[in-house]
Amino acid sequence: MLVTGKGGVGKTTVTASLARFAASQGKRVLCAEMVGDPAASSALADALGVSRLEIEPVTVAPNLKAVLLAPHLGHTRFLRDVLPMKLLADAAMRSAAIRRFLAAAPTFPEMGVLYRLLDLVRTKRRDGSDEHEMIIVDLPATGHALALAQIPASLLRVIPTGPIATAVREGLDLLTDRERTGAIVVTLPETLPVSEALELVKGIQLHDIPLAQVMVNRVPFDPFSEEERAAVRGMLTGRAPTLGERTMERIDRARVALARLSGEISVPIVALQDVWLDGPRLAEEMASLMAVDGAA
Amino acid sequence: MSSRPPDVLPGLRDAATFVDPLVREKKVIVCCGAGGVGKTTTAAAIGVASAVHGRRVLVLTIDPARRLAEAMGIPEAARTPSPVPRAKLDQLGVPIHGELYAWMLSPEVVFESMVRRLASDEARVQEILGNRLYQHLSKIVAGMQEYTAAEALYTLSTEGNYDLVVLDTPPSRNALEFLEAPRKLSMFLDERVIGVFLPKKGAFMRAASDLIERVFSRAFGEGFYKDLQGFLGAFSGMFGGMRAHAEAVRKLLSSDEAAFLLVTSPEPAALAEASFFQSKIKELGLPFAGYVLNRSWAYTRGFLGPETIQLPPGAGEMERVALKKLGQLADAERWRAQRDRDLLARLRMETESGSAIATPHLGGAVEDLVGLGTLARNLVRIESA
Repeated sequence: MLVTGKGGVGKTTVTASLARFAASQGKRVLCAEMVGDPAASSALADALGVSRLEIEPVTVAPNLKAVLLAPHLGHTRFLRDVLPMKLLADAAMRSAAIRRFLAAAPTFPEMGVLYRLLDLVRTKRRDGSDEHEMIIVDLPATGHALALAQIPASLLRVIPTGPIATAVREGLDLLTDRERTGAIVVTLPETLPVSEALELVKGIQLHDIPLAQVMVNRVPFDPFSEEERAAVRGMLTGRAPTLGERTMERIDRARVALARLSGEISVPIVALQDVWLDGPRLAEEMASLMAVDGAA
Repeated sequence: MSSRPPDVLPGLRDAATFVDPLVREKKVIVCCGAGGVGKTTTAAAIGVASAVHGRRVLVLTIDPARRLAEAMGIPEAARTPSPVPRAKLDQLGVPIHGELYAWMLSPEVVFESMVRRLASDEARVQEILGNRLYQHLSKIVAGMQEYTAAEALYTLSTEGNYDLVVLDTPPSRNALEFLEAPRKLSMFLDERVIGVFLPKKGAFMRAASDLIERVFSRAFGEGFYKDLQGFLGAFSGMFGGMRAHAEAVRKLLSSDEAAFLLVTSPEPAALAEASFFQSKIKELGLPFAGYVLNRSWAYTRGFLGPETIQLPPGAGEMERVALKKLGQLADAERWRAQRDRDLLARLRMETESGSAIATPHLGGAVEDLVGLGTLARNLVRIESA
C-alpha cells in the first residue's frame, strides 16, 4: 500500500491509522517511512506513539512493525546481491567516495529506497510465508509520488541492461502489479486539494500504478438538514460577518469537494471525520472509526 | 460568500508588524515550513506587500498551486521571470507602487542555463546537454528541486535585477533539504569523490579506482560507467564554478540581507515541524526573522455572534433548531480562536524579539487575487488605496 498526497493532508496519520486497523484485523503489518537521514525526526514515529524508528523493522504493537527505509541499506543489499562476493560489496560501501556519491547524487537515494522496499517485500518467514503480509509506505510529500514513480522508467532509458536494470524492472513490476500494489491518495475536502488529488490520480494511472482508493481527511461534521441549512442561510443573508458562518462555508466546500471527487473517480472514496486529537491518540481514534465503518 | 470585499475581513493591520521592515529592507526572504501550510501563498503575499512599498520584487516558486499561477497570470516552465500583468495587479485591492515578478522554476531550464554560463565553449555545452545521464538527471524532479532553487537564487542575486527575491522553498519533508543543498552539492562535487570515476594516468591511482570501476561496471553495466565518466569528464571543468555558487548562496543566506520566515498552520503536526525547523535554522547560523501562523482562526474582531440574530416572525421549531446548531458552530469557532491566540502567544515566546503574526483562514478565497491582497494586508500595514 502506497500512501500519497500533497503535504499537510495528513498522510502520516492515515498511514498509521491504516496500519493499526489492518494489524487489529490480524494481518502482519509493516509500516514504512522514507527518510534521507535516519537521525532526523520521524513523523511516523510520533503518529505511532514510539520515540523513534530504526532502519530494521521493530515491533510497535501486536502484529505491527515499523521501519525507516534507509537508502544506504538498499545500496548495500543491492551490491551484495549483484556482486560476486559479499566482501567486495562491503568494501565498496566502506569506500567514502562511493558512499558519498550514492548519498549525494540525485535519484540514487530514491533508488536505494526502492530496492530496500523490494528487499522487505521479499522477506520470508521460516515456513515460506511472507514476513510482512502488508507493507504500508508513507510516501514523502516531495513533489508528488509521481516524481518517485517516474524514476524507474527514466533510469531504464539510461541503464537499459545489467543488474541495476533488472532490479529496476523488478521494482517497476512490483509498483504496477494490481495483485500486490495499491496506491491510496489522501486529500482534504477543499477546492484546491481536490484539484491536486485529481491530478495526482491521473498521474498515478499514467504510470500504471494501481489506484486502490481516495481518502478524504478532516471532513467537517455537518449538523444541518437541507431545510435547516436553507433557513440558516436566509437568516445570514445581508448581515455583517457572523461567527459560525465560516464553518458553514467550510461544510459547503467539503460537500462540493466530495461530490466532485465521486463524479470523477471510480475507486472507493472514504471520508474521514475531522477529529481534534493529535499524535498516537489520533491514529488510534481513526483506526477505530475505520473499524466501525468497516463493520457497517 | 467568499467574494466579500476585503475591507470587512477582520484582522487588518493598523500598526506596523515585524514583517514591515523585512519587506522594505531585505534582499532575500525565504519562506519555509512543512508542506501544505500555505508557503507558496504566503510567499506571494509577501511579494505583494513589498511591491506595495515600491520595491521591485521577484517571487520564486517551485511547485505553486496551479490556480495561484493562473490567477497571477504567470506561465509554467518559462525560461525567465515574468512580470505579473498590470490588469492582475489592479485586482489585488492594494496599491502596488513597485513591480511584481514571478517565476516557476523548472530544474531543466535552470540547469541548462547554468551549463551555458559555466561551460568553456559551445562544443562542451552540446556534449553535456547530449549526455544521457545529464538528460536523466535534469528531468527528474525528486531531489533536484533543492539544487535548482539554490542555483537560481545565486544567479538572481548576482545579476541584481531585483530589490527583493522571495523564495518559496521546495516541498520536501521538513523542507530541510533546501538549506542543506549547497553543502550537499559541494560534497557531491568534491574532486576527491568525482576524481575516482575519471580515467587515471598514474599506476597507483589506477589501482585505487579499479575497485570502483569493477563495482560500477558490474552493477550498472559497462555502458553506464562510460556514460558516467563522460558526464563527469565534461562537467569537471565546471565544478569549481558550481562549488563557488553553492558557497556564495550559503554566504548570502547567512548574511543580514536575508531573512527566514517560518510558515506554519495551527495543525499540531505542522507546529511540531516548525519548532524543529527553527532549531535547525539557528543551528545552521541562518537569520531567523519570525513565524507566520497561517490559516488561523485567531481573529474574531468584526464578527457578530449568532445570538444577535432575531428569528423571523412566524419562525417555528425547525428554525429554532437550525439557529441553535449555528450557535454550536460559532462556539467551536470561538474555541478555535482562543486556541490560535494561545498558539500565537506561544510562538512569540519562542522568538527572542516576539516576532510572530497570524494570518486568517480565508477558505476558498485564497487562490484568487483578492485573497492574496487580503493576506498582504494581514502581513504588513498598508495605507488604504
